[in-house]
Amino acid sequence: MDLSIRVSGAAGQGIGTLGSLLTGAFAGMGLHVFTTETYMSRIRGGLNWMDIRIGDYELLSGKETPDLLVVLDPQSLSFLRERTNEWTLLLLNGPPTVGMVAIDFAQEAKALTGEVVMANAVAAGAVFALLGYHAARLHSLLDARFARKGQDVVDANIRCAQRGAELAEPYVGTKLPPKGVGAPDFVCSGSEAIGLGAATAGVKFVAAYPMTPSTATFTYLANVADEFGIVVEQAEDEIAAINMVCGATYAGVPAMTTTSGGGFALMVEGVSLAGMLELPAFIMLGQRPGPATGLPTRTGQTELRFAVHGSHGEFARAVYAPGTPRQAYELTRVGLETAHRYQTPVILLTDQFLADMRTNTTPLDRAPRPIDRHILADPPPDYVRYTITPDGVSPRALPGSAAYLVADSDEHGEDGHITEDLNVRVQMQEKRLRKLEGMRREVLAPERYGPERAEHLLICWGSTYGPCREAVGLLNQRDISAAMLHFSQVWPLNVGAARAAIASTGARRITVVEGNATGQFASLLREEQVLGECELMPKYDGLPFTGEEIARRAQS
Amino acid sequence: MSKLYFDAEIAWCPGCGDFLILRSLDRAIAELGIDRHKLVLVSGIGQAAKLPHYTQANVFNGLHGRPIPAATAIKVANHELEVVVTSGDGDIYGEGGNHLIHAIRRNIGIKVFVHNNQVYGLTKGQASPTSDPGFVTPVQTHGVVNQPYSALALAIVQGCSFVARSFAGDPKHLQAMMTAALQHTGGFALLDILQPCPTYNRVNTYQWYRERVKPTPDTHDPFDRAAALDLAFKWSDEIPIGIIYRCDRPTFESQLPALAKGTLVGRYAGT
Repeated sequence: MDLSIRVSGAAGQGIGTLGSLLTGAFAGMGLHVFTTETYMSRIRGGLNWMDIRIGDYELLSGKETPDLLVVLDPQSLSFLRERTNEWTLLLLNGPPTVGMVAIDFAQEAKALTGEVVMANAVAAGAVFALLGYHAARLHSLLDARFARKGQDVVDANIRCAQRGAELAEPYVGTKLPPKGVGAPDFVCSGSEAIGLGAATAGVKFVAAYPMTPSTATFTYLANVADEFGIVVEQAEDEIAAINMVCGATYAGVPAMTTTSGGGFALMVEGVSLAGMLELPAFIMLGQRPGPATGLPTRTGQTELRFAVHGSHGEFARAVYAPGTPRQAYELTRVGLETAHRYQTPVILLTDQFLADMRTNTTPLDRAPRPIDRHILADPPPDYVRYTITPDGVSPRALPGSAAYLVADSDEHGEDGHITEDLNVRVQMQEKRLRKLEGMRREVLAPERYGPERAEHLLICWGSTYGPCREAVGLLNQRDISAAMLHFSQVWPLNVGAARAAIASTGARRITVVEGNATGQFASLLREEQVLGECELMPKYDGLPFTGEEIARRAQS
Repeated sequence: MSKLYFDAEIAWCPGCGDFLILRSLDRAIAELGIDRHKLVLVSGIGQAAKLPHYTQANVFNGLHGRPIPAATAIKVANHELEVVVTSGDGDIYGEGGNHLIHAIRRNIGIKVFVHNNQVYGLTKGQASPTSDPGFVTPVQTHGVVNQPYSALALAIVQGCSFVARSFAGDPKHLQAMMTAALQHTGGFALLDILQPCPTYNRVNTYQWYRERVKPTPDTHDPFDRAAALDLAFKWSDEIPIGIIYRCDRPTFESQLPALAKGTLVGRYAGT
């Protein structure tokens, strides 16, 4: 059983505050929660919403239409109503209106407390009552949230929540609420999970330029910088950011940057530099629907090809694409480890859907567990940086040691010095690319979900994980045999393993589900001869997939 | 010519000011007793940017225009290293102009030695940001019309903690300026080095500079910003060389809480 609540309003109306209050309360009740955010590129006005889905089983995606629609801004009512169904309950912030529950949250708060600031508590109380929950279940959360502001504030908030519940009372009873099932009360977003993953893995230097949807991770890292001893610098531009990451890693400090498509476009020369200097640069790339500025605050899986191929020249790199906050946390660490083991750039692909999605999970480990940088501690005096080795990985020392660290963006010999000896060039290019062989052997296996054998295989990557998994559940409930194969690493590919994974399902129909218009992953799989004939399920309207949508489109 | 540490094939033309800059740098390092293992020479792309290959030090020869951000992060990662950028006017003033502005704002403790020959050498003779108006090149066929980039004035206005100029044709002066910059512990140091290019700049020759460069008077107070700006704008019969401007500001690295207990790299808890 699950319910979806859409909290909508203009930017600046407090959607985030109310949403966070509700999410915290639901998680505290042991419910599974899954929230997504849909917002316009502005700070005031417009129309934004947050969907909070709650259930008594694990939730992996949003729903297309809400069961309860909370409208903070009456002006947007008609637009939002088009996106409801006959069972949607409406809670309007405003004067009495036929066909919906109408409460003026601010006025009620003011009447009770003399101030409008607790309007959110009134709204939360009303939401709880309308869903069929006792408003008293909000009290402990309000207590925890406002305790540091004093008991008066806590009490006033509780009175406001009770008032909201009273006003909604006549309309209670139409919804059957899911019951708590002991789901963890730790709630985390994709952005935060990446930041925590990086901080605990030992990233000590972060340089970035703000850009949606990557800013939240940048901000998170700035906020934990003192706790983990990290230097976080806002660079003058993305070119500076990536070159700073190259400088910091050259000097031996695990370092990363966060950016989005347009910023990554500015970085690609620096990514190539990391490939040439063999530096473990780690880049979180938050994709968004381009081209150019595109839809800055919306979601899309539009930069897979750009992440895999963007940059001049040819060099080894790995590209990871997590699907949930937990995967994001774990793959950040895996990505940093790969970068350091192979001394080459690694990209973590995210998007607005993953960055902003919040869900409960068992708490992510906050203890520092710094990764192995694979540093040669005591290099001999005749040490050279780019020794040609069978696996292409040269022993890495640091500047300041007994050896000289010579790194050049020009083609160079083993000693790092510039060369135009074309035989050396061939040897060095082969050495650098040999790293891909080891990286291919360590490629993460795609995750299988669904029955052992299936008629229809849905292939997806990155943030489409949750919606696709839900779709597989829905399809099999409808007696349609379907399975999912999710790639959380999209480059390099282990062609043999990927083909075997696909073949093992025995599927006669294969659809690649991805949030772009041209089927970027499908074309990559076909180019690498992982896939033959396949269908595409593209999406490029700036919104995330939902399980329902994928299931519906798979049936057509 | 300078003794080279490596049996490297030098890519500079005979008579290039780069040789004199390299020699002065080597002498300044030697006289100051700087441990070359703790020295990182950072450069971008251009003829000047090849300098780090012709001496002995740690080398980060990165991208065109981008040595300053790389050097900034090297200094943050290990502030016990002496980090010196040696690159050209195209690199620092042209392609990387934005980084110069913001590195000065940060007051990161790196030294930037700009080989300023007022021309693009490696790409064969196009105008640089500092080319004089009227300078005819294969691209600026009717002569340069853009006003030259005033690096010193820009640096002063931005509050650069150390601003100096020297001339490659006066190695003693150059070494003294390099020494002063290397001894500057108060943050970012910019040293603009006038450097003749015998191949592509037939206007601003050794003789042309010799006739014009004039050491700043002993009475000049580098902490006097107005006086410094006056000197910075002088570019005519008289071109001042010397320490033009200084100011006291906290360094970037001294304000980072994460560096309070030692270097970032030294305190890495993992292997």
